[in-house]
Amino acid sequence: MEIDKIIHEPARLRVMMILAGIEQADFNFLLTTLNLTRGNLSRHVEKLESAGYLKVKKSFNGKIPNTRYQLTQKGSKALAQYWENLDTVRRSGQS
Amino acid sequence: MVIAGLSYLAGAAFIKGNMTVFRVCIVVLFAILVFVLIIRASKFVGVIIQRWIDQLIYDHEGTATMPEPKLTKKKKWLAYVVGPVVGGCIIGTYYLSMEGYIAFKYMQPVSALYLVPFLVHLYFLQRPRIGPLVLICPILYTIHAILIVAGVPIFFTGNLGILNMLLPVFGYTFLAHVICHVYSRYALKKLKGLTHLEGDTANGD
Repeated sequence: MEIDKIIHEPARLRVMMILAGIEQADFNFLLTTLNLTRGNLSRHVEKLESAGYLKVKKSFNGKIPNTRYQLTQKGSKALAQYWENLDTVRRSGQS
Repeated sequence: MVIAGLSYLAGAAFIKGNMTVFRVCIVVLFAILVFVLIIRASKFVGVIIQRWIDQLIYDHEGTATMPEPKLTKKKKWLAYVVGPVVGGCIIGTYYLSMEGYIAFKYMQPVSALYLVPFLVHLYFLQRPRIGPLVLICPILYTIHAILIVAGVPIFFTGNLGILNMLLPVFGYTFLAHVICHVYSRYALKKLKGLTHLEGDTANGD
């Protein structure tokens, strides 16, 4: 059993947790909700996207580009597995 | 505003005996109702309007959406049928009040018999995109009706009789929207309280 290092990072874990509770969120929502810098948020979502955990949808609101993120099925499963593994680690630490 | 103005005009025309103006107002009112319901039920137009409102009010903080309700074909068609039927009931109640079959005092309680189930039906139709807070509107509308039947004088008479339905419908809908907006601010603040980290920890590796 191994903890998923992509999810284990606090900023990425928070991105995953927010997206797990909703259908999708745009870049600005994640930015204001997580209090990250633009560059860091971009970097983190890129990592999650390349792992196949996030789906990115790019569109335009008039002339303004809008990027929305959605958790993939793989991402949902990985997050559930992450919590399960963390629980196992916690239980083994207690016994 | 347009609906309120037209309703008032129809009421005034009826009292003065100008049946042509009255009938035109009723036809236009019904057309507006059907138009609003079609827009509301249409996924494409509904999404555009929703996005426009979201951008206007919440643009600076970004947007997040809840999953779309899963509607079967039967439920979709039911929405198209129930909407115009309720629209017809509203116009019917209004017409019967003008004819004197329903006292102005009882306009709102009579309308509650079909409007409250309709609003509750709308909530169940649009879950989980809208939360249970919108049920504030039908709850207040029911309380309003019960109070009138119990003898509390919260109704209009004469020319202003039409407001017996309009004022509670728009008033309670507006109130429900304001409460939902305030609650969304509270929920966002709570979420930020959970997700905000400081300094290096915030931005990660």
